[in-house]
Amino acid sequence: MITDLAQYLVSALSLGGLYALMALGLVIVYGILRLINFAYGELVMVAGYGMLIIGRSPWPWIFVAILSILCAVIAALVMERVAFRPVRNSSPTTMLITSFAVSTLLQNLALLIISPRPKVPRLPAVFTKNLRFGGVRIDVLDLSGLIVSIVALLALTLFLRKTVIGLALRAAADDFTMTRLMGVRANMVIAAAFAISGLMAGIVALFWIGNTRSTTPTIGLEPVLIAFIASVVGGMSSLKGAVVGGYVLGFLTIGLQTWLPRDVNAYRDAVLFGIVILVLLVRPEGIVRPVWSREAR
Amino acid sequence: MTDLRSLASRISTPLILSGIVSLIAIIAWLRGDVVFERVVTVMFINVLLTVALQVFMGNSGLGSFGQYAFVLIGAYSSIWFSLTPEQKNLALPDMPEEWWLYSQHYPFQVAVVLGGVTALIVGAVIGIAFVRLRGASFTIATFAFLIVVHSIALQWREVTRGSRTVIGIPKETSLLIAAVWAILAILIGYAFKESTIGLKLRASREDEDAASSIGVNVRLMRWISWCLSVFMCGVGGALWAHFIQQFSPQQFYLSETFLIVAMLVIGGSASVSGAVVGAVSVAMVSEGMRQFENSWNLARQKGTSIGDILPFQLVGFTEIVIALAMILVLVLRPSGIMGGRELAWPLRRRGSPPAASSESVGMTGATDTAS
Amino acid sequence: MSLLAIDDIHVNYGAISAVRGVSLTVDQGEVVGLIGVNGAGKSTTMLSIVGVVKPQRGTIVYSGQSLIGQSPETILRLGIAPVMEGRRIFPSLTVEENLRLGAATKKDKQQVEQDIDRWTTFFPILRERFGKPAGNLSGGQQQMLAVARALMSRPTMLLMDEPSLGLSPKLVGDVFALIRELRDMGMTILLVEQNVRMTLDIVNRVYLLNTGRVEFAGTPDELRARGDVERAYLHGGGLAQKSASPA
Repeated sequence: MITDLAQYLVSALSLGGLYALMALGLVIVYGILRLINFAYGELVMVAGYGMLIIGRSPWPWIFVAILSILCAVIAALVMERVAFRPVRNSSPTTMLITSFAVSTLLQNLALLIISPRPKVPRLPAVFTKNLRFGGVRIDVLDLSGLIVSIVALLALTLFLRKTVIGLALRAAADDFTMTRLMGVRANMVIAAAFAISGLMAGIVALFWIGNTRSTTPTIGLEPVLIAFIASVVGGMSSLKGAVVGGYVLGFLTIGLQTWLPRDVNAYRDAVLFGIVILVLLVRPEGIVRPVWSREAR
Repeated sequence: MTDLRSLASRISTPLILSGIVSLIAIIAWLRGDVVFERVVTVMFINVLLTVALQVFMGNSGLGSFGQYAFVLIGAYSSIWFSLTPEQKNLALPDMPEEWWLYSQHYPFQVAVVLGGVTALIVGAVIGIAFVRLRGASFTIATFAFLIVVHSIALQWREVTRGSRTVIGIPKETSLLIAAVWAILAILIGYAFKESTIGLKLRASREDEDAASSIGVNVRLMRWISWCLSVFMCGVGGALWAHFIQQFSPQQFYLSETFLIVAMLVIGGSASVSGAVVGAVSVAMVSEGMRQFENSWNLARQKGTSIGDILPFQLVGFTEIVIALAMILVLVLRPSGIMGGRELAWPLRRRGSPPAASSESVGMTGATDTAS
Repeated sequence: MSLLAIDDIHVNYGAISAVRGVSLTVDQGEVVGLIGVNGAGKSTTMLSIVGVVKPQRGTIVYSGQSLIGQSPETILRLGIAPVMEGRRIFPSLTVEENLRLGAATKKDKQQVEQDIDRWTTFFPILRERFGKPAGNLSGGQQQMLAVARALMSRPTMLLMDEPSLGLSPKLVGDVFALIRELRDMGMTILLVEQNVRMTLDIVNRVYLLNTGRVEFAGTPDELRARGDVERAYLHGGGLAQKSASPA
């Protein structure tokens, strides 16, 4: 029982951490541009194919991983420059539709240039191993996901609190024009937000593909849907909300998988997205309240 | 005199658009080519669906990614009503015989309307909640609804056969029937746009609060346009079901949603003409691309001298072209090909679109100039 | 030559023209008031200076450089710091972070620390609430923060848009005392206000805007001497009354 619980905790913390990173990448862009980036999942795909192609080199895996993350960051920056900057001043709906088009474009480019079939990139052998602590068996993949996600969250928190760009990113989510009136360059802040979004997607991709063990043109769909759920539930305009939403969803997912009968689990997506609709209707600001009370304004 | 001219120009739009549909139908009929006829029939169903999307998006200014949920509902519910119990044994083997639905059997045209009505009932209920949302929240909610309906359809074997393909549906949707429904959709869409409700709704999308303050019930009108749109989507699904004859829930999902959104955005969401022009032009381009893809891949397979130099198999090329076209339109001409105008004769007409409707989906954007 | 010279700017929002031919100048070390009723074009003039709104016609020159078409971030870097209407502090950032962001363009870390120290001494309440979210400050405290944040960029010129709006009478007094202090420190200030009486007490010169045009330009005494203006604007704050017609 205790061992079950320990395994559950590690799995849930690992998955929750990755979901939190995923949601953060979505929310950090949304906060500033009011753009819900549908094409965000394709950044995971880009990193996945990065792993596939760079993985053919003789370099150690860690380099492959870093370069793949870099691919996602570059893809995010290119996406911003080419597709989103020209529609920056349009309505949120127009931007959302643009990102839908970008997503379709990238998926089909992968289909055309690479292959519709799943491709297996080189992964470190240790990903399939597990460790034993007494009676507790813990997957290395889970454990490394847990550690990396927590390190990434801490690093991002430090960045957002201690650097001027970080402050500017948070301030821009409050009031973009006013942030510019502090002398902060709009293009720089937006590029930084997209770069972080690519970084998050890239990190998630390593573990996501570590789990699926192959990459396909549509591999980004599930991560982006998860990011939607987590960020809507946590609150679209709150970074803290994204993290909370990610962990809640991680625990929920593992919990449902572990304890719910299979045929009920089949309706999991329906239930999760039903919750999304409900939250949008009943509590559009998400479950996490801002640190400051609105009444005081 | 000006009234007469304006009346002529008002009537001319639906006439021109119906004329385009009729002309294409006649050409397809005269050619008598089965493949071409299939392409045109699908195109007409897409015209219907794009106009349905326009009825909501063009008038309310809100984006919906959820319309295909209603196409799905329309498609499945129409076969519940059109198939005989014997046919249901084949198409929907999991439906219990003691169900009321099992014994229902109506003529095709009735089943099509019932498909629309089923979509309408579901849409009307969910719409009561949805019309409270604004902007991107609305779009995400509709998108979430698509996923909910999709995943229920994948599991609820009694009414959909789950993820497996329903088969053995009689082919009832002919070129003529598709053309008639496309024209009906155009007439309804245009009449709605020009109606008092349509006018007020379009005025309200610029500023919901201002509209509310002068006594315009924005949510009610939004709901009405939503209901009309989902009914048309249901009908479209029913027609498609009885044309394609076999399908599964996978055929009512993201790429299909993308296609009708692309058609509307490329044509221009602010006018019915935009919807029709978008649907027709995207359909023609993608059919051309598909043939190109096929002959390319065929040449490659045969290993002819040309085939050897073709570096890869062409997949997804059509979607790439459509997506690129869509991004270009959004960037360079956000109001689409038609730019918010209707096709009309005489060309200059009163009540031409207000300057503000040049925005592609008709929402006022952030005034922030983040250049 | 003036530090800031606006010449005949016109701003339209769609069919509505908010500013139609406003000209004004501000000299180094001067406090200039911009007054008028709601909708007279004061805020639009302000937004034009900081680059949030682009005038369709006219010129804005700041120490020899044209500001028309410049982005807000560039304009701040030239030495103009705005205190916007409604304070516009960053509510989810702490007081400290708001101040640090005010110095976003400053490279000299030591100088930034000195400035933080200086302004939190000047506004003790900010020191008290240093690590707290700015959104939880009261209206008056937020106004202090907005001013301090603007000063963090070490501006040559301060633009203040309705700093007294929505504050209690006591706090309004505090804000004007603050402006007086800043004036005495030698800061150049362009002050947009509806509180005409208090504005006239602290400015060197004043411009009165009405329906997008400059209706009066001169010293506070000259304005007071004009009876019609006095009647229209000064009695009981006189903000809601109909605009005065020129004599």
